[in-house]
Amino acid sequence: MNDKVKEVLAEVFDMKSSEITVGLTKDDIDTWDSLRQMDLVTSLEKEFDIRLEMMEIVSLDSVAKTVEILKSKGVDVGD
Amino acid sequence: MLEIKNKVAVVTGGASGLGLAIAQGLVKEGASVVVLDLDRNKLDLLPDEIEKYCIDITNYELVQQTVDSIVSKFSKIDILVNNAGVIYSESFINIMNPSCMKHSYDRFKKNLDINLNSVFIMSSIIAEKMVINRTQGVIINMSSISAQGNAGQTAYSAAKAAVEAMTKTWSKELGVFGIRSVAIAPGFINTESTNHALNEKTIKHIKSNTPLKRLGETLNIFQSVKYIVENDFVNGAVLQVDGGLTI
Ligand SMILES: NC(=O)c1ccc[n+]([C@@H]2O[C@H](COP(=O)([O-])OP(=O)(O)OC[C@H]3O[C@@H](n4cnc5c(N)ncnc54)[C@H](O)[C@@H]3O)[C@@H](O)[C@H]2O)c1
Repeated sequence: MNDKVKEVLAEVFDMKSSEITVGLTKDDIDTWDSLRQMDLVTSLEKEFDIRLEMMEIVSLDSVAKTVEILKSKGVDVGD
Repeated sequence: MLEIKNKVAVVTGGASGLGLAIAQGLVKEGASVVVLDLDRNKLDLLPDEIEKYCIDITNYELVQQTVDSIVSKFSKIDILVNNAGVIYSESFINIMNPSCMKHSYDRFKKNLDINLNSVFIMSSIIAEKMVINRTQGVIINMSSISAQGNAGQTAYSAAKAAVEAMTKTWSKELGVFGIRSVAIAPGFINTESTNHALNEKTIKHIKSNTPLKRLGETLNIFQSVKYIVENDFVNGAVLQVDGGLTI
């Protein structure tokens, strides 16, 4: 996962970039609630110039899933 | 200056949190205090000098009967503190719950019942007594900084904004009888309900955004009640007690 993805997630969840790891799920992140989910969706759409479908939005429940969805949209997420 | 001593005060939700601090503070200042609360166990823990009624203040008939018996015992009510309320959060649209994203309408109405309608019920029944008995009393309504609109708190914010609007309306309408109406809008106070509603990280975040870098204490809210009662030219105001958070 590259720095840009980490930075977006860190900004949304009020964390440090270094704290964002691919193993984290929404249960590990205290600030990941339904309001932040909206923030997450709009931040990802804006930063990566993509459009998320409803099914994708509701399945965003972990860092790994976020990376997977970004990849499926052709976003370069790094290794 | 009005003295609290010998005044008769009714405090709703006085069995815990802010209401408890207000009830205890008023007793210390020499008032006769009556607490109305739903929670029988917590009511039982109150000291004997506090008169207690275990009732649901959203029930109009029960409130009428209770106020009638308070007035027949104490002959008047000088101070009403509409403190009972339930801090409630629910997203207006919850995109994490695809089967039902919308805020529940039932829960919206239920929340307005306790945070708004109960304030109307208590105040109309007690204001009538004040007018009939020519008591130059004061109605103190507990609002919240959420009255300004807080993401994730549609029902609670709407209720508190309406409580502030009623406060101003009554201050104009009842002023001719010498009855005052004032609201207190606390920020985040160090209570069980705050610690239950918010996680540690959020509390840390709130403290760092507050100019005073801390939560308020229940005593700060009692001090506001005391100021409002004693200063009889304060009317229609909303007193922000939030450490500067909303500036
Ligand atoms: N604690 C805070 O930081 C804070 C901040 C802003 C505003 N407020 C407001 O202050 C008030 C008190 O809050 P608190 O934190 O002390 O809450 P709390 O939960 O500790 O106390 C509320 C009390 O109200 C009683 N109550 C609830 N529904 C009732 C009903 N239908 N009939 C009778 N009693 C009922 C409860 O039993 C409880 O004893 C509320 O109106 C709340 O919205 C609190």
